[in-house]
Amino acid sequence: MISFLSLNRRTVGLAVILLVVILLEALEVRASIYPGLLPYFEWLKNSSWLGYLGTTYGSVYATVEAGHLISMAVIGGTILATDLRLLGVLFRDIPSEIITAGTFKCFKVSLVCAIATGIFCAAGVADKVYYMEVFWIKMLTLLTGSCFMIFIKQPLLSSRPHSEINPWILRLLAVTSILIWFTVAATGRWIGFS
Amino acid sequence: MINELLLQFAHWLEAQQYSQMLVSGYYSWNWLEATHVLTLMISIGSLFIIDFRMLGWVLPNVPATTIADRLHKPMITGFVIMFITGILLVYAKPVENVQSLWFRIKMLLLLLAFVNAWIFNAKMRAADGSWDADRVAPKPLRTGAIISLCLWCGVVAMGRFIPYDWVDCDKVSNTTLLWAAGCVEQLNAI
Repeated sequence: MISFLSLNRRTVGLAVILLVVILLEALEVRASIYPGLLPYFEWLKNSSWLGYLGTTYGSVYATVEAGHLISMAVIGGTILATDLRLLGVLFRDIPSEIITAGTFKCFKVSLVCAIATGIFCAAGVADKVYYMEVFWIKMLTLLTGSCFMIFIKQPLLSSRPHSEINPWILRLLAVTSILIWFTVAATGRWIGFS
Repeated sequence: MINELLLQFAHWLEAQQYSQMLVSGYYSWNWLEATHVLTLMISIGSLFIIDFRMLGWVLPNVPATTIADRLHKPMITGFVIMFITGILLVYAKPVENVQSLWFRIKMLLLLLAFVNAWIFNAKMRAADGSWDADRVAPKPLRTGAIISLCLWCGVVAMGRFIPYDWVDCDKVSNTTLLWAAGCVEQLNAI
């Protein structure tokens, strides 16, 4: 039993996370937490300096929004390079290990920038985004994407030569990653329309 | 004179049936704008990876020209989609855009970015390949990469500013700003 768990830590870890999420949903924990978050969103908009800056200085808000877009574009660039290499579409003459390792730091930096600028943008309209379903979908997808990259994709890709990994697993990782980050970007855009 | 001509042209475009259809259809406008913005991840994402490589920030152990060559196709594809959707967005709201200071600065920055890209490409092709495997590109290419990053950040920022109304024709009285934004009626009224 112990050897099975140690051999399949990531799979077991993922199964536990999924189980916890299903349990939280089944026990309506998420629904009970949601109303309790409203005061924090109201504070973020009305009392925090982030909310003050965002609502008072439109030019600052728009500039940070542009920074958010640029960070997302860089995330897109790293995802494009890494995942299209894993799918065998781009950089076929360069080992995928080099592409994966060489772009991950850039991905992490741009993710931090996207989150930081995203918090500022959300603070300026916190009382609106709280009620938007698409905002919560984006937050959950962002959390899923970050966990997927940091705890599943990157550890797996850096653990052994990619030639030793089933090619279908590599393709699955790439397609999942593209879908997750596309959803993050698309829902982000949709927040602007809601 | 040029402002009057541009405004006349914009009014002519706005009177067209398809222009009105694009702007009045809730989903057509949203889809166009969403596609325009989301394609940033392909076009500017690829471009920034190339620029970052020239500066030695990503993939320093992969030849710089290989990165530039391989990302060229997705980058151009992204830019083509952005230009098509961008033209349609302008076509949907021509008068608003022609009289937007931010739109005008964006177009200027775009022009500069393309001139810079052309010079950068020419320099990269002309340089002998001895630097290709170096961690950072030679100084002229690094300078070109930094200029490219700044110009494209400016393009994105100006694009983001367009919906804001700080310098709309009815909000400013400074004649230079009115002229720069192409506010013909307000200038004539002064």
